[in-house]
Amino acid sequence: MKSNPIEQSHLLTNRRQFFGKASTGIGVAALSSMLQADKPNGQAKALPGLPHFAPKAKRVIYLLQSGAPSQVDLYDYKPSLEKLHLQELPEDVRKGQRLTGMTARQAKFPLVKSPFKFHRHGESGMWLSELLPHLGGVADDLCKITSMHTEAINHDPAITFFQSGHQQPGRPSLGSWLSYGLGSETENLPSFVVMLTKNSFNQAQPIYDRLWGSGFLPSRFQGVKLRSQGDPVLYLNDPAKQDAKSRRNLLNSIAKLNAKREAEIGDPEINTRIAQYEMAYRMQMSVPELANINDEPESTFNMYGDAAKEPGTHAYNCLMARRMAERGVRFIQVFHRGWDHHSNCQGNLPTLTKQTDQGSAALIADLKQRDMLKDTLVIWGGEFGRTVYAQGNPASFGRDHHPRCFSIWMAGGGIKGGLTYGKTDDFCYNVVENGVHVHDFHATILHLMGIDHEQLTHRFQGRDYRLTDVHGNVVDGIIA
Amino acid sequence: MSIKSNFTLSFFLLLCALTTLQASEEQVTVEFNQHIRPLLSNKCFTCHGPDANKREAGLRLDLRESAIATLDSGVQAITPGVPEESEVWARINSGDEFTRMPPAGHGDPLSATEKSLIRNWIKQGAKYQTHWAFNSPERTPLPTVKQTRWPENPIDYYILRKLEQNGLSPSSPASKETLIRRLAFDLTGLPPSLSEIDRFLADQSDDAYQRLVEQYLASPAYGENLASVWLDLARYADTNGYQYDTERKHWVWRDWVIHAYNQNKSFDDFTKEQIAGDLIPNSTPEQILATGFNRNHGITIEGGVIGEEYRTEYVMDRLITTSSVWMGLTVGCARCHDHKYDPISQKEFYQLYAFFNLVPERGQSGFQPQMQINSPLASSRMQALTGRIQNLEASLPAAREDLSGLEDWAKSIASSGNTWHVQKPDSAKSSGGTTITPQEDQSLLVSGVNPQKDIYTITYETTQTNITAIRLECLTHPSLPGGGPGRHTNSNFVLTGIELTASPTNKPEQSQKVTFREAKADYNQANWHVSSALDPNTATGWAVDGPTRKLPATAIFIAEKPFGFDAGTTLNLTLKHEASFGTHGIGRPRISLSTSDPKGLSFQGLDGAIVDAARVTPQKRTAIQQQLLQEHYIANHGPAQAIQVELARLRQQQSQGFPQTMIMRDQPGIRTTHILNRGQYNEPTDEVQAGTPTVLPGMDNQSPANRLGLANWLMSPQHPLTARVAVNRYWQMFFGNGLVKTAEDFGNQGALPSHPQLLDYLALEFQHSEWDIKHLHRLIVSSATYQQTSHVGRDKYIADPENLLLTRGPRMRLTAEQVRDNVLAVSGLLLNTVGGPSVYPYQPKGIWLELNNRPGYSRAYPQGTGKQLYRRSLYTFWKRTVPSPMMKTLDAPEREFCTLKRSLTNTPLQSLLLLNGIQFVEAARHMATAVLHQPFESDSQRISHAFRVATGRHPDNTELELLLEAFQQQANDFQNDTESVTNLLSVGDSPVDTSLNAVELATWTALCRILLNLDESITKG
Repeated sequence: MKSNPIEQSHLLTNRRQFFGKASTGIGVAALSSMLQADKPNGQAKALPGLPHFAPKAKRVIYLLQSGAPSQVDLYDYKPSLEKLHLQELPEDVRKGQRLTGMTARQAKFPLVKSPFKFHRHGESGMWLSELLPHLGGVADDLCKITSMHTEAINHDPAITFFQSGHQQPGRPSLGSWLSYGLGSETENLPSFVVMLTKNSFNQAQPIYDRLWGSGFLPSRFQGVKLRSQGDPVLYLNDPAKQDAKSRRNLLNSIAKLNAKREAEIGDPEINTRIAQYEMAYRMQMSVPELANINDEPESTFNMYGDAAKEPGTHAYNCLMARRMAERGVRFIQVFHRGWDHHSNCQGNLPTLTKQTDQGSAALIADLKQRDMLKDTLVIWGGEFGRTVYAQGNPASFGRDHHPRCFSIWMAGGGIKGGLTYGKTDDFCYNVVENGVHVHDFHATILHLMGIDHEQLTHRFQGRDYRLTDVHGNVVDGIIA
Repeated sequence: MSIKSNFTLSFFLLLCALTTLQASEEQVTVEFNQHIRPLLSNKCFTCHGPDANKREAGLRLDLRESAIATLDSGVQAITPGVPEESEVWARINSGDEFTRMPPAGHGDPLSATEKSLIRNWIKQGAKYQTHWAFNSPERTPLPTVKQTRWPENPIDYYILRKLEQNGLSPSSPASKETLIRRLAFDLTGLPPSLSEIDRFLADQSDDAYQRLVEQYLASPAYGENLASVWLDLARYADTNGYQYDTERKHWVWRDWVIHAYNQNKSFDDFTKEQIAGDLIPNSTPEQILATGFNRNHGITIEGGVIGEEYRTEYVMDRLITTSSVWMGLTVGCARCHDHKYDPISQKEFYQLYAFFNLVPERGQSGFQPQMQINSPLASSRMQALTGRIQNLEASLPAAREDLSGLEDWAKSIASSGNTWHVQKPDSAKSSGGTTITPQEDQSLLVSGVNPQKDIYTITYETTQTNITAIRLECLTHPSLPGGGPGRHTNSNFVLTGIELTASPTNKPEQSQKVTFREAKADYNQANWHVSSALDPNTATGWAVDGPTRKLPATAIFIAEKPFGFDAGTTLNLTLKHEASFGTHGIGRPRISLSTSDPKGLSFQGLDGAIVDAARVTPQKRTAIQQQLLQEHYIANHGPAQAIQVELARLRQQQSQGFPQTMIMRDQPGIRTTHILNRGQYNEPTDEVQAGTPTVLPGMDNQSPANRLGLANWLMSPQHPLTARVAVNRYWQMFFGNGLVKTAEDFGNQGALPSHPQLLDYLALEFQHSEWDIKHLHRLIVSSATYQQTSHVGRDKYIADPENLLLTRGPRMRLTAEQVRDNVLAVSGLLLNTVGGPSVYPYQPKGIWLELNNRPGYSRAYPQGTGKQLYRRSLYTFWKRTVPSPMMKTLDAPEREFCTLKRSLTNTPLQSLLLLNGIQFVEAARHMATAVLHQPFESDSQRISHAFRVATGRHPDNTELELLLEAFQQQANDFQNDTESVTNLLSVGDSPVDTSLNAVELATWTALCRILLNLDESITKG
């Protein structure tokens, strides 16, 4: 569907007239700045005073690995486990850590070393599992944080905590805080977009709309799903499939009648409505253009792998994330489910890394070759870690949920590359150095985006809420 | 936006806010509640307020006694009358960043205006007032006004007084067309019909409007509209929330709400029944049903959660919801520490918590207590059903006597090759000390301890030989978790192994192992097929989706070769439960044997004893055999059977009609309540008893110290909050904002009332009318304030964007439900039946499964068919983790928690929904169809009519011209584009009216799409 330039300019003229009228006296923009900051195109603009300081990252791509990947088998190399293998987890290491109902009544907690080999990569010599060969290729761009920790021990509260800074539903998600604070950078796309890997392993943990919801922030700040089946954005396509000209006619008629009404009544909401219909029209063109990967050269698919040609794969979503980053989407989140390996880690992990490794690594390399990595923050990680001890039979071991330590990585956007940050004990059970709590993680992301996490607040029920509640310290050690 | 204009605007608003404060400041009395408290609360209370643990320098500024006392440091924070001797004054003016208050990071320094307020207040004696909302409402004389002809009722005096103080005038009355549309949506959530509009326009009598009000108040749609607002507060949903978000059937409670509003149940009863209906002496089932209000919170079924962690959250949710809804207080802030701003201590929080902490419930899958209660909306339907059941039951005895077909039937089954002999167990024991109790039907009910792993060993004696298969029925029982088949709290079991040995009864040492060549079950959980019970691997086994499917399951194990000894056989059966997921034993097993050819065997074959009896000639049968045959014949084959089937169907309707609804129940003594350190479930400290915060009037001594006492306390005439909070929220429903803008917070941090005396007038009027909700609504919509026009021009919108002074009538976008209901109504598609189970309107494919595709825990969206697609939106199935995108796009909340005010946004996604959503495009087609069937002569008449259908008013000439132009364009576009015509007309499930010309219908459909997308069509006012 192509826009008709003549019709476009005609409409713009009309719109200038509408807004021209409105801007006598106090402008529409002035009015809406009191209610909710809007640009004339209907998109949100930044809150006054934001960003608080020069941002190091302009956008975030967050590859969320739902279900909790095993740090012991992927990132946190523990040669010490060779000796400890099959020994019982000492009580002075566990220190009364509460366990989930799945292993709480297990009679023994035998430690199990990773069955996978680790190798050093890059100039930094970063240790990574043999399951992550592609990631090894970009090791010098990664900051691997092995000292993450959280409080939640079950999926729902843990992932809700990661997404909103609170374990129970009701708070705005990270992406919606960013949209609320910084407004929208693009004219044609939402500022917060969510993608899901389709056809996940059917025992995967479910996820939920609240993870990209806006909580008590206005609902316009919630993430918009970009889907790999049906309409890429819900209701994007005209079911009548009328051609662009008829479509434009229809929208022009609506706009003219709305404008006339606004002139009579004076309610500025009507102007906003006109702008939103225009934005909808632009999205009808910009989203198909975004999703059309036929314009990518073959070299792209050499990087991301052939899976990137298939909509809905992790690799495809990584490629789409890059395309959105190029188009000014501020916060892009990819959800990949299936890491919850309570049994058969040895069999399950390679399946999952095969789905995620190449695309994640390609995304970093691709951003870098486009000189976009420097201001794009890429994050990869789950909601907690997994136990070093076996769930079930050590021969066919699984690993239970572990909140005390786990690993994630960040890259680009003001992050030091080639850095392994934080340290865990020989049992891969407790953090011993430079712990990074979820609140610290949030504070750091906001900081990189030019936001003081203590100053981005929203008053709700009498209280100034923030993403980091009353906690959080920026992790200076990982910032370049 | 220019700086100048922004300044002008702020200045204007400041004037509005500080009407009593004039330039010559010292002449004016500074009011603590209006001017000082908000300042102190915002800038100081965090460190110098009610929270004892965070208090700095021992200074507390929310109490005068403490504020004027000499501090340990020797200074006095406030010296009444002498700002210069007040440390507060010095500190807020300090040039030193280390002594200036508030300190860096705790908010901006005070502005010049704010400082001068503080100064004057101290100078005038630093008088404190109780926070306005904690004083009982006071009746004041009606304010005097200049425009005495304007007011229609007392509301208007208060509004007009403030307008006149600001030198403003009210707007003229809205046109009748605007007014009826506003009223119809506000009271019924639906647009007025054209005939209602015509009647109202033609009615010149003085009471035309009042009669219209009465008509809408009496409409069943009124209850539905009010209910849909209440459902947000009550966080009602059709699913359990949290990550699996499985279905719950709680809609009977929703029916209760609709019924209550339509019956005009007093807000007093409405409250007491929902909070404590179960505790009202001699409570009726409907009163108990009402308590479903506080079971609307989410309930997790996630494996591995710690139950108490979640049960604690449920109680928190009840307390926070109840406090927000009835008191407008943010008590949740006192969960972890004393409230920072309001005088509610952490101890008082847990005293309130205690009221909700006696429910006999669990954290994981805590659906009990439940009760099957009839919907109050369906009593007539139920009466009819009961009558038919009674008639059939009466005819049953005669039908049972008729045994004329018995012998023919007996012959027909004598040669059956599909029989099962139920076996009586001889002994049964458990490896884990579980109690196993034989039941009359030969099943074994398992109870008592629930070990991680358990192996049942059961022996049987049988005279059967040539045994080909055994059958294991896993039956359900009310004593098992969730009434399901397994022993785990989620109702599941995992059978990891089954072993059988057979030995001649007289030679037990000659025991032989029976091997099975095949296993099959009538239900297998994905990846947990019964065949895996035959392998030695304990990591695999048979499971049956207990969490979601609480039904019996049956497995058949076919022997490698037939077994059984002529001299009688002792069977030793072992059922193993050794999965890593513990406590997954079978709850009530029953074993049968078959000697039939396995090929013909089914899960529910005939009982072997009956077949044996049938094989015997009538004369030779024992009395027991004859009785067995007769009973089976009567129950399954004779003339009584047809009656039984019909009865079962009707009874099922009866029970399906009314699922178990979750209700509140107290079990005194079940647990004690403690203060929870940091609000953590596992850090209890001091024990507390149920009680109410001391800042509010105490509970009546006569009232019990339970939820009923709490409800009585809320509704007592002395309670300063309940009535104000309720009327404020209703005001918000009509005007967009409450008189207190923060409907959710009447505490120190909340907004001050814009019209405090009006708020008190309405609160008292509500109380004195015996909490008559319709009376209150009638009062509001009858005011001249409500009836003002909203067509006032840009300047007035800019002067007061949120209409806080009420210089104009309300103009608002419809709510999510109303937007959709409106198109259904104007297109004639709406199925207007009241109440019942939730329905599944159009939804894009795949949006449930793409988030959760776990078998047994998720399913594809079961989109409805036929009329179920066109019911009012409050009946739309509400899935918390994936709400209907139609509702969510239009700002409906997820309902994971109580929402007191929805945001009202204006987004491109809304435009896309209204333009392209199937529901909306189909409605445009139906609207066009109806328009085309109208006997008009010209297109322009027809367009006029269509415009009226959509907006409720006649178009003017300009609009008509624009629409004619649009119509011509669309006609041209469709003329040569049959594909688009077909595409457009085929949107939606409903059939196309083929009596109409397709191109013409498409053109009119396009025109109706334009009309239904107008701002005006989704707006009232």
